[in-house]
Amino acid sequence: MTTELAANGKPYVHHHGAHCETAVTSALFRYQGVDISEPMIFGIGSGIFFGYLPFIKLVHLPVTAFRYKPGAVFHKAAKRLGGDFVIKTYRDPQKGMDELRQVLKTGQIVGLSTNLYWLPYVTERHRHNFNGHNIIVLREIEGGFRISDPTFGDPVDCSADGLDQARFVPGPLNPHGYMYYTKSVNPHPDLRGACIKGMKDSCSLMLRIPLPIFGVRGMRFLAKKIIKSPDKLGFQEACRHLAGTVRWVEETGTGGAGFRYMYAAFFHEAAGLFSSDELADLSKEMTAIGDNWREFSLTAARIIKQKDKAEETFAKAGGLILKCADREEAFFRKLQKVARQLKA
Amino acid sequence: MKVNEVPQDITYYEGVKRACFALNDEGKYVVVTSVGWDDEAVVNGLAVDDLAATLEHTRKAVLAGVKSPLCYHMERRQMTPEILAKTAGIAAFRVKRHFRPEIFAKLKLSVLDRYAQALAITKQELMTVPQK
Repeated sequence: MTTELAANGKPYVHHHGAHCETAVTSALFRYQGVDISEPMIFGIGSGIFFGYLPFIKLVHLPVTAFRYKPGAVFHKAAKRLGGDFVIKTYRDPQKGMDELRQVLKTGQIVGLSTNLYWLPYVTERHRHNFNGHNIIVLREIEGGFRISDPTFGDPVDCSADGLDQARFVPGPLNPHGYMYYTKSVNPHPDLRGACIKGMKDSCSLMLRIPLPIFGVRGMRFLAKKIIKSPDKLGFQEACRHLAGTVRWVEETGTGGAGFRYMYAAFFHEAAGLFSSDELADLSKEMTAIGDNWREFSLTAARIIKQKDKAEETFAKAGGLILKCADREEAFFRKLQKVARQLKA
Repeated sequence: MKVNEVPQDITYYEGVKRACFALNDEGKYVVVTSVGWDDEAVVNGLAVDDLAATLEHTRKAVLAGVKSPLCYHMERRQMTPEILAKTAGIAAFRVKRHFRPEIFAKLKLSVLDRYAQALAITKQELMTVPQK
């Protein structure tokens, strides 16, 4: 936690967050005086999800999503908490940068969507072509900007050219200088109502999408693919695919175990808010599910390292995901019932 | 995951810390910073090695005169022909065509400029690959 000053001298507290989008949204609310944590934003914005998208490839490997599509968590959370945001995209980079400078001068802090590869302060090993990394610009400094990137421990400096490149890099799904800042925020949001909405929405996302690649069905689909993969693709290629999946679970700023720990933290806070024992139990169950995902990552890493060859097999890794799927299905079915009884 | 179970193996994060959610002794969730996890490093290592191996393979192909340096620099920036095509504003089929060294050698300066700008390198760099 570090305190920085925005352009008009108002203090801004930098919190180290697990995920860029939820942490940025939470920081924007906090700056306006609404104290709301990162897991709360994640829960209210219905961030938890599962999707296995074999037809969308990143670095020749299929995408496994553990959260809902980029941008949606911010939109949903803002709507449910009664925050009014100015959201803009630009065709002309020069205009986009000029407007950013003007807004910063009025003392606002500004959220930006950028390409992770071109941000100059990211080290070579952490770079990859991802067009939805969210950061906050605090103020303009000489030759650049002061930036609070919640996935970093402290605020960082970024050159103006680098930021320009990261905001306006062309290519598929490019951010077009996507920029957002608060117009007005409800100082006393209806947290309980927002939580219930978020929970119900998550239930339908996980259970009701009638396609085999989303929600708990998607997990089973992926599990079966993993079990069959060594026969179908050969050991080396199967390892690459498995490693790709584990990177989605642990590496993409999830706070551990594919957002499951963050979601458990949300239920922990919600249990306090509603003083409900059922929600506290659900939080514990979610933690256990998270531990289960961790075990999957561990098993996968052992398969790749080829330790305990006989014991750690693809069948075991797939089995762990099937177990996760069963537990999550039971979890969300129970949540459906619990959420119906909660009063806003 | 408990606070004391958060992995603290010094690995590839290179000093960058990552936030993890974990339960403290009172059963409350807190953010704990982790300096890395060995098992994650294995997975990341596999991906990084993979990229490096492909890049090395391409570099040799360029030196052998099978591919153009454009292909090498594209892979170095972790791009695909489609991404490079959009970035440089040149149709994807042309980008793929320019991977052939004999066609790349005849490119106009204006086209090379666009590639150099898209890849954020100078034109001299674009024409060559490192010798080792």
